[in-house]
Amino acid sequence: MRKAKWHVLFICLAVSASILLAGCGSNNQPVAQEQGEATTQEKILTISWGQDMGELNPHMYSPNQMFAQDMVYESLVRYGEDGEIQPKLAEDWEISPDGKEYTFKLRKDVKFSDGSSFNAAIAKKNFDVVLSNAERHNWLELINQIEATEVVEEYTLKLVFKNPYYPALQELALIRPLRFLGEAGFPDNGNTAEGIKQAIGTGPWVFSEEVKGEYAVFTKNEHYWGAEPKVDKIVIKIIPDAETRAMAFEKKEIDLIYGSGLISLDSFKQFRDSGKYKTDISNPLATRFLAINSNKGATKELEVRRAIQHAFDKQTFIDAVFYGTEKKADTLFASNFPYCDLGLEAYDYNLEKASLLLEEAGWKKGEGKEFREKNGQLLEMEFNFDSDDAIQKSIGEVLQGDLKKAGIKLNLVGEETASYAQRQKDGNFNLIYESNWGAPYDPHSFVSSMRTPAHADYQAQIGLPMKSEIDAKITEVLLSTNEEERQELYAYILETLHEQAVYLPISYRSNIAVHHDYVSGVVFFGTQYEMPLANIDL
Amino acid sequence: MRKFIFKRLISLVPILLGISIITFALLQLVPVDPAEVYLRLSQIPPTEEAIAVTRAELGLNDPLHQQYIQWVKNVFSLDFGKSFVTRNPVLEELLYYFPATIQLTLTSLVLVIIISIPMAILSALYKDTIVDNIGRCFAFLGASMPSFWVGLLLMYVFSLKFDLLPVAGRGSIKHLILPSFTLALGSVATYTRLLRTTLLENFKENYVLYGRTRGLKEGFILLRHVFKNAILPVITAFGMSMGYMLAGSVIVENVFAWPGVGRYIISAIFNRDYPVIQCYVLIMAVIFVLLNLLVDILYGILDPRIRIGGDE
Repeated sequence: MRKAKWHVLFICLAVSASILLAGCGSNNQPVAQEQGEATTQEKILTISWGQDMGELNPHMYSPNQMFAQDMVYESLVRYGEDGEIQPKLAEDWEISPDGKEYTFKLRKDVKFSDGSSFNAAIAKKNFDVVLSNAERHNWLELINQIEATEVVEEYTLKLVFKNPYYPALQELALIRPLRFLGEAGFPDNGNTAEGIKQAIGTGPWVFSEEVKGEYAVFTKNEHYWGAEPKVDKIVIKIIPDAETRAMAFEKKEIDLIYGSGLISLDSFKQFRDSGKYKTDISNPLATRFLAINSNKGATKELEVRRAIQHAFDKQTFIDAVFYGTEKKADTLFASNFPYCDLGLEAYDYNLEKASLLLEEAGWKKGEGKEFREKNGQLLEMEFNFDSDDAIQKSIGEVLQGDLKKAGIKLNLVGEETASYAQRQKDGNFNLIYESNWGAPYDPHSFVSSMRTPAHADYQAQIGLPMKSEIDAKITEVLLSTNEEERQELYAYILETLHEQAVYLPISYRSNIAVHHDYVSGVVFFGTQYEMPLANIDL
Repeated sequence: MRKFIFKRLISLVPILLGISIITFALLQLVPVDPAEVYLRLSQIPPTEEAIAVTRAELGLNDPLHQQYIQWVKNVFSLDFGKSFVTRNPVLEELLYYFPATIQLTLTSLVLVIIISIPMAILSALYKDTIVDNIGRCFAFLGASMPSFWVGLLLMYVFSLKFDLLPVAGRGSIKHLILPSFTLALGSVATYTRLLRTTLLENFKENYVLYGRTRGLKEGFILLRHVFKNAILPVITAFGMSMGYMLAGSVIVENVFAWPGVGRYIISAIFNRDYPVIQCYVLIMAVIFVLLNLLVDILYGILDPRIRIGGDE
């Protein structure tokens, strides 16, 4: 009898052991990867990402991953590295003189991955289904501006706009929501917002296999119209942890790390300094900066705002915190953005200049005092930031030390995300951390939002004497149809903001690339989520 | 015995109801709006209009009590709603990820048993010798090192430096070794010390002295009598520990890219994916209660003196 009881325990153990082995038996490695080396000469590039790809619906957002949507679907036009609009599925286009009609000549040699051809009819079908769900996309001005779509000829598509809207081409280059799904991918009721049948696109890759939580496989699109990708397959391993990803890379389980935030800056520095790997940093993709409130406390004064610009030793900060992985920013938008190459003079790091400006404005330092005063009032201000973000916190700490040298007292106020966001909305800050949207949304989207009262930018600018003029010029620039006029308007807006020193630019965010030396063809594209996968060879 | 099990199962109902109300209420206290998180994940600027549209889509606009009642109604038909982020049915997704977690947890448990029992016995037999001290060191280290750190360290040594095992992912038995060992380490430390202590206490009992006077061999006394008595408190702790391991696999799964439910839940928490969190908490509550029940039953089997209900 007693023995029987022990048997129960042993049986339990045996059962659990067999479950384990059964679990192990199911081989979950990407099939291609294991056969690859032994049987064929298939070239397989392995990268990694933190999440699953999603169903890859071209017209929807999360959980669809943008870089993967970009692998499968293509846009009418492309946003080039220098911000220039280039042909893609549309080989040419014409804009009517009033700026309200765009006529696109589509390429005739484009086929979807299922072999069906791409033409104006299917393009219109895609536009129309996105427009029928307009409220989901109302963040994108383009969608609000399109009035009608029209098939002119088999390969000619016309878009009619409610108003002239110059950034239309830039926004047509976006990864979502205006890319094209093949007919067979549409659900029975036709509404892609509720899901798609299959990810069928015109891009160089086909989403061919997925084991959720483990990996996704993309294979070459046999019908691709453009240059044939150099590798046959791309395996994307799902690895959520950045340190694990770095080790997997070192062990050559991953060939390439490309993007931003995928590995820690420490790992990047280590890879770069080891000399064993190839590392690179892209052109600026977006800017980190602080907005300085022209409507609150000491920062109401132009001299104080300018003094802050001169007192912050950005380069030292960037070297210490970003290990030089980000480039120093002197203007709100980097000069590689459209209309932004204005040759504005940077506010250099110059403590003397800062002190001089403050002296002139009447902020004097008393004997043995640490901070300046005027009419008995201390030169004091607040920096508001999201306490969960380590980078914002270190900006605050370094800035506090730098401003102290100029006799300015900076109080650091770190709060959780929601409170920090609330301050942005109601303008309750002196200095606040921000980041703009980056290519291809800038400069027009960010500038456009400066007119919205619930934005930190509007709040920071209301103290400026010429705020109403700035807003008027922004409205004008978005409706302008003349290239030269547009450049002039942007020049006015950006120069004024620069001279008024309402922004303290810090650094430009970039993509990083780290790869083994057997990987070639790694280049950077103009936007954050486009990966140069079709160029890469092994 | 049956009556006892039945009673315990009935008690699940108020427990689950209570837990669901508490999680529901607590989640509402979180200041961040799930609609805003969804928009951020989608790279959409969270304008007020966009938030309003998303809130309506996610069903967050109804009054709280209505949301709760609707949720409970659906749960009775095993409909736990759809994930805010992936838009797939929650239960389906959780069940998809559960097998990997159970595999990891059970392997760890087996490791805990095969490592801690012999270590405890050796430590107890050779008390205060070098063997015991090594065991003690191991236990202190094991209990005090955080698992994400141990995980990365093991990965560095065994995968990178010695190239013996894969870094991360799931697939062969090799993939299972590092994560399950990492997960087991904390428990190994605890159980080795616990079992060692109870073994030593039992050695002082009269029945051991009696056994010795009968001329029984030390080993026989240990295995036949002392061990059986000493293991009881360990089993109680073990039952709970199984639950903790299931829940605690979160970190290990994240570090080793193990596609289990822990990794799924951690992203759900970051993304304020309420339906997923609620379903997960309920499932974990059921597992904890059932494990407790199992321990109680096992107790009765191993030690007739405390058999419940006296039905034997």
